[in-house]
Amino acid sequence: MTDAANNVASGFRAGRDVASEPRTGRLPSVGTDPVIELIDLYKTYRVGTELVHALRGTSLRIHENEYAAIMGASGSGKSTMLNILGCLDVPTSGIYRLRGQDVSRLSQTKLARIRGRQIGFIFQSFELLGRTTALKNVELPLAYTRTRHRRQRALEALKRVNLLDRAHHRPNQLSGGQKQRVAIARALAQQPDIILADEPTGNLDSTTGKEIMDILDSLQAEGQTIIVVTHEDEIARRCGRTIRLKDGQIVLDTGNGDGHPRRDEGGTDAIGEAATP
Amino acid sequence: MKALRALVNALLFIPDRVASLAGNVVTALVQIWSNKIRSLLTVLGIIIAVTSIISVVSMVEGFGNYVTSFLRGLGTNMMVVYPERVRGPMGEYLRPAEMTIEDIQAVDRYATAVRRTSPVIFTRATIEYGRQQLIGIDLRGTNEFFQPIRNFYVDAGRFFGAVDVDAGGPVCVLGREVLRKLECDESVVGDFVHIDSQRFRVIGLLQSKGSFMGDNQDEMIVIPWTSALKMYPYRRNYLAFYVEAMNEEKIPDAEGQLVRILRQRHGIKKGDPPDFGIFKQDEILKEFHTTRVIATSVLAGIVSISLLVGGIGIMNVMLVSVTERTREIGLRKSVGAHRRDILSQFLTEAVVLSTVGGGIGIALGYAICYIAAMHPNMVEINVPIWSVALALGFSAGVGIFFGIIPAFKAAIIHPIDALRHE
Repeated sequence: MTDAANNVASGFRAGRDVASEPRTGRLPSVGTDPVIELIDLYKTYRVGTELVHALRGTSLRIHENEYAAIMGASGSGKSTMLNILGCLDVPTSGIYRLRGQDVSRLSQTKLARIRGRQIGFIFQSFELLGRTTALKNVELPLAYTRTRHRRQRALEALKRVNLLDRAHHRPNQLSGGQKQRVAIARALAQQPDIILADEPTGNLDSTTGKEIMDILDSLQAEGQTIIVVTHEDEIARRCGRTIRLKDGQIVLDTGNGDGHPRRDEGGTDAIGEAATP
Repeated sequence: MKALRALVNALLFIPDRVASLAGNVVTALVQIWSNKIRSLLTVLGIIIAVTSIISVVSMVEGFGNYVTSFLRGLGTNMMVVYPERVRGPMGEYLRPAEMTIEDIQAVDRYATAVRRTSPVIFTRATIEYGRQQLIGIDLRGTNEFFQPIRNFYVDAGRFFGAVDVDAGGPVCVLGREVLRKLECDESVVGDFVHIDSQRFRVIGLLQSKGSFMGDNQDEMIVIPWTSALKMYPYRRNYLAFYVEAMNEEKIPDAEGQLVRILRQRHGIKKGDPPDFGIFKQDEILKEFHTTRVIATSVLAGIVSISLLVGGIGIMNVMLVSVTERTREIGLRKSVGAHRRDILSQFLTEAVVLSTVGGGIGIALGYAICYIAAMHPNMVEINVPIWSVALALGFSAGVGIFFGIIPAFKAAIIHPIDALRHE
């Protein structure tokens, strides 16, 4: 019991220290260990009496500062992939390493801690708490991980998405684009290892959607690892790497899987081909 | 060493825990405030239950204190001895209960623990003054020791003395309520009234003692027992009497002595029931205390049923609230909330809800007591602080008890299902 308590405590400590490191301290990790490593991942659901194989032997590596788009039709397994990547779910078999740590067999409690510290979610429908201010929304993950200096860090995150002047507004006083920017700030506040964006522009008009993508682009330019789930080619084209899923398997990956993001290698054409069968 | 480190770490996290609890309370209050009507309806059961607890307990306590202080006001070392035919068919075969002045004198003379006695004749009489007539007023025929024994003194004029008692003169002392009903003031002292058509001179007025359980002690006429005997001669063999013991500790001795004397004088065989009864205020107090505890617990039992109903209401609404806020739960979990965070959030909400209800109930309870106390015949009501603490504690307990199931339901929702929830 005391061991467990110590582990918990030291885990918190370590988390804090990592989180408080300046971002510039990160190595340009090209060629180093990947942030995400999926090895032969399977996910099987039981729907009634039927077994649904959502993922069938997927392997994938995503490196620091990569900008990847996960595409695929509905039922292709991309939601399942996102859930597993976001530590909301665990695979039936296979290994998922996040920053070298095997997270594929962790308990709900440990997964919750990883979600809080290492993963930033951005949802299609923003998912802001309606009755609290933008600032409080951004503070939420910091509160759950019991991070210090929440307010200051939340304000910094809001500044990063250029919404400092809306910090004390409630979601119903904000436009759709502003709401999504608050959501981005919330994802950023913890300085996560990866940001997972699930159709981030799905509920926005094209102009606002472009603004949001511009923000994500600039975050990537600053060194953030970002994974976007989308079905829009235009958005996928902005990302350096496209991963296309079909029937639970990767059918297309424009990245080489062990190093450089390949923004400049004309992946667009490949996507275009794949998109139009 | 490890344990020590764990302890230190645990202590370091206390401020965080307090802060997160405070955060939960704020969240809960915001949630309650933004659903004002629903919250009010939810806690209505709790409000009613707590209001009833406070007002019922306060009134029972109020009456209790009143009765206690009344009984104490009778004189703490006083007994009343009265002739009493044995109850039931047994009594029919025995001779009628009798008590004579000789019995009383014997007690006065031979019972060493008895300080003094005072014969008393209880009856009701009609009193007339001017054109006013009062029917059925309590009349006591007694002697000059009535005042010290009953701890009931005149505050205008004088009480009758031994001379008046010996002479059996037509003098009387009136209670304040009689005075009020006769529509006259203290100037009546020295004047004449008619009691059951006999002319009596008013020589004094008793101090005001207030009413007791609707029985106004101030509505009383006191005359010498000798005069009463002249008016109601059939009472000669059925006298009751007040007994004052030397002091409070001597009450059992005094009782034992007078019982022995009376049994001997009445020729009651060993083992046969006595033909007289004894009223002792401490026994009455004990009995009353038992009754009061029973009454309080019965009422509390009834009230706790309404608390139960209130708790079910809270559980119901919390379950609805959890379903409604499934997406919020999913979001919270996806940004790192643990099960226990969600659990404590919803549990806090249930407890805050029921405690707010309890608070409103307490305020209403106070209001009801305040309003009830405005009635002139009402006893003095004080809301006992323990009932407030009890009500608050119970309502918080109800919140925990009935909040735990919805909170647990919220905590175990899978984040994926929650985020997909429409």
